[in-house]
Amino acid sequence: MITSPAPSQTAAARQWFLAREDFGAMVEAIRGTGRCVIGPTIREDAIVYDEIHAAADLPIGWRDVQTAGRYRLEHGGDTRVFGYSVGPTPWKRFTFPPNLTIAAAHRSGAIGFDPAVPDAPQVAFLGVRACEIAALAIQDRVFLGGQFTDEDFRARRSAAFIVAVQCTTSASTCFCTSMGTGPEVRGGYDILLTEIDEGFVIQAGSPGGAAIVAKLPTRRPSHAEAGAAVDNVESVRTQMGEPLPMAGIADRLKLQLDNPRWAQVADRCVECGNCTMSCPTCFCTSVVEKSAMDGTSSTTERQWDSCFDVAFAKVAGGDFRARPRDRYRQWLTHKFSTWWDQFGSSGCVGCGRCITWCPVRIDVREELVAIAPPIAPVIRPVAVEPVAASPGTYSIARLASIRPETADTTTLTLTDLDPAFLSGRPGQFVMIALPAFPAVPISISRFRANEIDLTIRSVGATSTALDTLHPGAKVGLRGPLGTFWPIEEAYGRHAVVVAGGVGLSPLHGLVDALVANHDRFESVSLFYGSRTPEDMLFRDDLAAWSAGKAIDVAITVDRAGPEWKGRVGVVTTLFDMISWDCTKVSAFVVGPERMMQASVQGLISKGVPTDRICVSMERHMECGIGLCGHCQMAGRFVCKDGPVFRLNDLGDMFNREGI
Amino acid sequence: MATAGRTARPRVAVAKFASCDGCQLTILDLENELLEIVSRFDIVEFPEATSRRSPGPYDIVFVEGSISAPEHLDAIKELRKQARILVTIGACATAGGIQAMRNWADHDAYRAAVYEHPEWIESLATATPVSDHVKVDAELRGCPIDGGQLTELLTAVLVGRRPQIRDEAVCRECKRKGIVCMVVATGEACMGPVTTSGCNALCPTYDRGCFGCFGPRANANARSWSSGLLKSGRPPEEVWRLFAGFTGYAEPFRTVITELGKTKG
Repeated sequence: MITSPAPSQTAAARQWFLAREDFGAMVEAIRGTGRCVIGPTIREDAIVYDEIHAAADLPIGWRDVQTAGRYRLEHGGDTRVFGYSVGPTPWKRFTFPPNLTIAAAHRSGAIGFDPAVPDAPQVAFLGVRACEIAALAIQDRVFLGGQFTDEDFRARRSAAFIVAVQCTTSASTCFCTSMGTGPEVRGGYDILLTEIDEGFVIQAGSPGGAAIVAKLPTRRPSHAEAGAAVDNVESVRTQMGEPLPMAGIADRLKLQLDNPRWAQVADRCVECGNCTMSCPTCFCTSVVEKSAMDGTSSTTERQWDSCFDVAFAKVAGGDFRARPRDRYRQWLTHKFSTWWDQFGSSGCVGCGRCITWCPVRIDVREELVAIAPPIAPVIRPVAVEPVAASPGTYSIARLASIRPETADTTTLTLTDLDPAFLSGRPGQFVMIALPAFPAVPISISRFRANEIDLTIRSVGATSTALDTLHPGAKVGLRGPLGTFWPIEEAYGRHAVVVAGGVGLSPLHGLVDALVANHDRFESVSLFYGSRTPEDMLFRDDLAAWSAGKAIDVAITVDRAGPEWKGRVGVVTTLFDMISWDCTKVSAFVVGPERMMQASVQGLISKGVPTDRICVSMERHMECGIGLCGHCQMAGRFVCKDGPVFRLNDLGDMFNREGI
Repeated sequence: MATAGRTARPRVAVAKFASCDGCQLTILDLENELLEIVSRFDIVEFPEATSRRSPGPYDIVFVEGSISAPEHLDAIKELRKQARILVTIGACATAGGIQAMRNWADHDAYRAAVYEHPEWIESLATATPVSDHVKVDAELRGCPIDGGQLTELLTAVLVGRRPQIRDEAVCRECKRKGIVCMVVATGEACMGPVTTSGCNALCPTYDRGCFGCFGPRANANARSWSSGLLKSGRPPEEVWRLFAGFTGYAEPFRTVITELGKTKG
């Protein structure tokens, strides 16, 4: 039966203990309801799911040892019933049969087509793991969640009583913790078992489950027994180790459609399709018409098929996925990326079958990491809780001093601040407002002891008004907001700051931090390009940085008078000074969008990895907290998901116009 | 025999070259279908079944065996002229068969080793598939062929559609049948991943690795599979034998065998 995703509170709370020697009673009780019990049993040197007549059919004491391309049984010297992890064939075999007659047709006189009527046997699945419950739920969405449904699946799924088992061990191929499906069973069962040394802690998840449990010779578990059940499951999480870096994998894969690794893995792949056949969620099928020799009657048989089949994507004119690499890419991207678009979840539950049963030992975990390399999660503003976050509320600050940077740019030093602003991080911004003037987003250009600097170019009403303030004036602030420069990720690397024009403002605080911690980096450099020498910001600071040993400063201007002794040209012309191993560069880039695009292109062509390039994006902002909708950029809010982004998080969107 | 008021039954011939007759026997073994087959097809030439002979032309000619002797060269061309549809059946006709192993060996030495009077034996230095000599309209793979595929082909001819003969790995049939992969579970050598289906996973059903008798799939990654077998610790001779057994002369098995032969020395 399709059970509710979570058992009711009372059912969840009520646990029972069933002694090991009484386990047969459960098999009996379920069989007594007329159900065929399908559970783990040893056949062909493996623990497969097949009919269980009595407890003796269960793989008592047996373990499965699984690695890529290898599966062996070993006896554990004990009487554990569920000491193995997952079997070779998923439960879909029983809810989504590998061969199914779906229709018949005849042509004797008139023609007629007769759909097969679903005929689902009443079954009980004994020993369904957390990943397998997740897989059944995924197929529920595939077959029943859309406009068109598979009624045979519905019938079989409804006819299945689920006895779930908590995993108390894991195979080396297991990765449910990476996919968020286990090891704990969180629902979707009629009865839940957790095996401990003495027996089983059990609980019912449905009235049907409760009715079976009521027939068993149970007692309430002791505190120790209930505790052991929890500990056993928790130990599996530890056993599995660090989860895979799956954050953003759907987007990461979409950015890697041309990765040369697809061809490399396809060279190894023999396209046997074992991964898809043993996958508990793969659902592709083909139909075969079996006709009588005279063609007057036929049946339509549906069979499990695989996207690795050479004819799978064939049409009269050719094959849409002609190369093995196309087919491997289709499988992997569907499972981990486009499945989200179609069904709102990953297509992988982390059961590891595709790894164990791959005869050439391809480990999907290795391929994922190699093809769509792990990146640190999208930079999140975790530095400090902003104050006065909601539009309309402001924290009041006092203008301590004001000084011009260039003809149109001014730096305000603010004091009497809420401490939150002082705890902000370079790259973050504030919304600043004056009565009668709308709030505008301004980067914090510098953090001082009790003050912050905001460097403002007078382009609009508010910025012009701010430009004319006098020390002592009060302003309204909200923040600090947005993401910040991930400085720590550049430790041990060549930190390269590339600034164009007023783009130096959001980078100033970063440069301060790099200079202060320069011995943590392999090297620290600033490349700064300005239109003219007069348009350069922070000239005193630039001079001080140039004079010191903590940072190498290179400056260029687009146009200059005769008094300019430095370089002339766009900022990327400075890149000829880069002599380091660029795979060890972490770059931070801000400036006008075209300057950033050219800079990023230059860095990439020198070999800087895209996940090591951070940019700060500029968009129109009204609220600064992701509510007004102005700053959207390809699915992201620049205010709360940015303004600092890793380049590979932006992908194609970075270079695209009109986004 | 009655023809149910339809057009004349298609004239069918079954012919053989160098082969063991096992595929022809598979036709005769179709006990449940045979009456229906002969009621719908006029089997006029079938030396394995009857000494009655009948000249062409034929609507369908099933050809068993590889081209291995000088007289085969003309005979197959003549047969092609007589056939509207020419269907090769079995590993010998479609891939050269076991006897194609001599294609990598010294033919004269082989002949001398086997026969007391090798000079009496007239044979070609190579055993080659029929398709190397004449156009083939359809082929049924296997050693021997699968009766179900044969019936499907005959049905398709009568109904007037393409036969539904899939080119997928034997592994697919194992998985649908619920057979545990013995490569993974016991370390058994198996040609399933590179071999085309059609046998309904016959050998794995009886706990034996696939011998590859249906021959390579169109997209068989034979090179990866042979290197996988080598990496699992099998000596090159064993891997050579696995690929060379029944259909080794068919590409891409042939390339792998040639490369392994160099390793083997």
